[in-house]
Amino acid sequence: MDDRNDQGSESSGSGSHTGQSQSGTRTRIGLDVGTSKVVSARGDNISPTTDSQLNAFFDVPYSALHEQGLKANRTPFYRENDRLIVYGDASEKFAHIFNANVRRPMAKGILNPNEPQATHVLETVLSTLVPQSRNPGELLAFSVPAAAPETGHELTYHEETIKRYLQGRGYTPLAVNEGLAVVLAELAKEGFTGIGISCGGGMCNVAISYLSIPSLTMSLAHGGDFIDSSVGAVVNEPATRVKAIKEETLDLTREGGDKIDKALHIYYDKLIESLVDELAKAVQKTPKLPRNDQPMPIVLAGGTSKPNGFRERFEKALRRRSWPFQVGDVRMASDPLTATARGALVAALAER
Amino acid sequence: MTAAARGSSTERYRRQRPPVSRECADELTRITDDIDDPIVKLRYLQNALHAEDDKSALVQLVPIPPARRAWYRLKGLRALDAVSDADDEIAERTLAARQTARRVVVGASAAAMLFIPVVVAIVAWQVNRWRSESEQLASVGSSTAANATAIESTTAPLDVPQVTAETLTTSPRAEEAPVNQLPVAETLAAEDLGIVPSMVWLADRGPDWELYSNGLRIETTHAVKGTPRDYRVQTRDGKVLPSKLNRPIGILFHTSESDLWPLEPGYEKEVRKGSEALLRFVKREQAYNYMIDRFGRVYRIVDDDSRANHAGHGVWARGDEVYLDLNSSFLGVSFESRWEGGRTLPITRAQLIAGRNLTHYLRQRFAIAPEMCVTHGLASVSPKRGLIGYHLDWARGFPFEAFGLPDLYSQPLPSVALFGFNYDSEFLQTMGERWPGLIAAEKQLANEARERAISLDELRRERQSDYRRWRAALPSPSGPEPVLESRNQ
Repeated sequence: MDDRNDQGSESSGSGSHTGQSQSGTRTRIGLDVGTSKVVSARGDNISPTTDSQLNAFFDVPYSALHEQGLKANRTPFYRENDRLIVYGDASEKFAHIFNANVRRPMAKGILNPNEPQATHVLETVLSTLVPQSRNPGELLAFSVPAAAPETGHELTYHEETIKRYLQGRGYTPLAVNEGLAVVLAELAKEGFTGIGISCGGGMCNVAISYLSIPSLTMSLAHGGDFIDSSVGAVVNEPATRVKAIKEETLDLTREGGDKIDKALHIYYDKLIESLVDELAKAVQKTPKLPRNDQPMPIVLAGGTSKPNGFRERFEKALRRRSWPFQVGDVRMASDPLTATARGALVAALAER
Repeated sequence: MTAAARGSSTERYRRQRPPVSRECADELTRITDDIDDPIVKLRYLQNALHAEDDKSALVQLVPIPPARRAWYRLKGLRALDAVSDADDEIAERTLAARQTARRVVVGASAAAMLFIPVVVAIVAWQVNRWRSESEQLASVGSSTAANATAIESTTAPLDVPQVTAETLTTSPRAEEAPVNQLPVAETLAAEDLGIVPSMVWLADRGPDWELYSNGLRIETTHAVKGTPRDYRVQTRDGKVLPSKLNRPIGILFHTSESDLWPLEPGYEKEVRKGSEALLRFVKREQAYNYMIDRFGRVYRIVDDDSRANHAGHGVWARGDEVYLDLNSSFLGVSFESRWEGGRTLPITRAQLIAGRNLTHYLRQRFAIAPEMCVTHGLASVSPKRGLIGYHLDWARGFPFEAFGLPDLYSQPLPSVALFGFNYDSEFLQTMGERWPGLIAAEKQLANEARERAISLDELRRERQSDYRRWRAALPSPSGPEPVLESRNQ
């Protein structure tokens, strides 16, 4: 990582919280390693401190002038031969300026096999959120997706790469399924029984949890990126621009709007249908689901679930089908963007 | 607490595992209700579920449920020790409960020790009685060979006929035409096999229901009499057979495509109202002969001897016979459901069982050949546009095998092979892919075009024209006698 100029936050993790009171000065961390964003949570589970960084980068040709400009603006970047790699949140700004798309170190929930810079960039992004551990062996729980058929059910390389990096930073890493992390963050009152769904940029992850045991985990290798690129292709706009419009103005409760809005509605419906369809198939294939008299609450999290009206559309699609369990209330996570990281933090804090 | 529930500490939050037993879960849930802190609650659950040793499996051997539950509770409370250092209040609050649970377990275990020998003695006595009874039967000299044959015949699985391309699209000699065998029993998984009567007969009836020997119960409250069946069959060379028929020759399966409410407690009223509204509608429209609601109740709508308005324009063929008036020639059986693309089974287990029993009964009553049990999506056409798939319900995903029927999705589609019907991009978008029978039918058509050295489009136009002429030649139920003609005319 030559010429690295990290500007990300290096949280001290100090403060009063359950974790500290139980275990001296430890600073446990929950990490959501998502295709689109990396989110960290630390502190206690009631009011954790969260931080995030876009899991993306944008490269510009090297010139002394460019480098000086980036340094002057305190833009996080590093130099790789004759390129300057701008990473994290700043990369999106640059993509807008150049009317191009950012590049991603991850795709469909795992390290992007088509991106030679993948590991290097991901580690750089992680370094902005995960400080070197003060207590060697400190526990850090990070999210992993469930295996998806589209990615060949192969997660080992992705998981091990992150684990080794975190070990190098002085942590003991603990992998937590992404859907289960949503349950851990949001369904404590229900005894960690329910369905956690995380709709992220690269994929959607689902976990059916029974008393914190993941009875079924599945994923769909489509997420917000699929919507952005599909809409971008049909309206002839860069996906980065579609993403910005989606995040700023999309309201799924209102029909109509311009061409981009209509296309977003169509692809959101497609994503929801595919997710419910895949979940139904997975449920059908699962030999042992928990037998529970109580309705199963469902929590939606992740950036892709944020638009107004997503919950209603999802619930409608869900209730059109029959399930071998009672579907309880379908609700949004208290903070959809940080739910996975907060859930991972709960797992980290619960470990001895 | 069971071995299955345990997992290594690094894998426990990511690998899916079977859930714990319901009794164990109930007890753990009760205990965790007292814990407010999510961290402590999670730590407790993980400890209780993962740290137990293999002795936990012993709990499941305890025959008395209350004793089992008490044991689970005791173990659950013991697991609190692991978190009590984090929360003294919990430790104190649960001390009395732990002591009570311990007493209950000891008492229940003692009761179980007394109970088991009694149960063993009863079972032994019962086994001896059965044995002596069977010996008595043998000594009477009843025909054991006959009995064995009888039992075999009542439990043998139905030999699902292997329908070949020829069955549906070529002209076998009369003696080679598939014989309508009496359906004996459906193909079922070994654990589902039970004694199935060799025949289906009316076992009982009430003012508004009929009960058949295979368990089929038909509700007749909504039954109406319609226009009597009166149809003729065409042959592949275009002739209309002279004899008029008035018995159904096949079954066409539909889905109602009606609004569905979740099948869950709390929606009873809506589900019931939805079904009632649907029944009223199909009765008024005389839309089907039978309707199966989501709880598997079978309703007769239009009586078997009358035609129902279920098929619209459709084409089906078997051997040399071609059927174009499916309303008259086929019974319409509809499942209250939405097809939704058919990638997952859109009906309930109860509907599947009821549908099988109904099919079994209808096939026996009217001697219906297995390859004449078809789905609406396979037969439906749009004559005006020359396209298949005007209706798509069950165009994919009908559980033929579970019904003891041959897979008609793999057989050449008569509407394409005989009349050159085509499909458009909308059809492909909905279906996603062509099914094997459609591909086979298109191949047949292409081969024929090649043999006759004409273009595929030409052949399709010719066949479409045939279809229109044949359709026009069919008499309406009360219309004039048909003009007999052949394909070569």
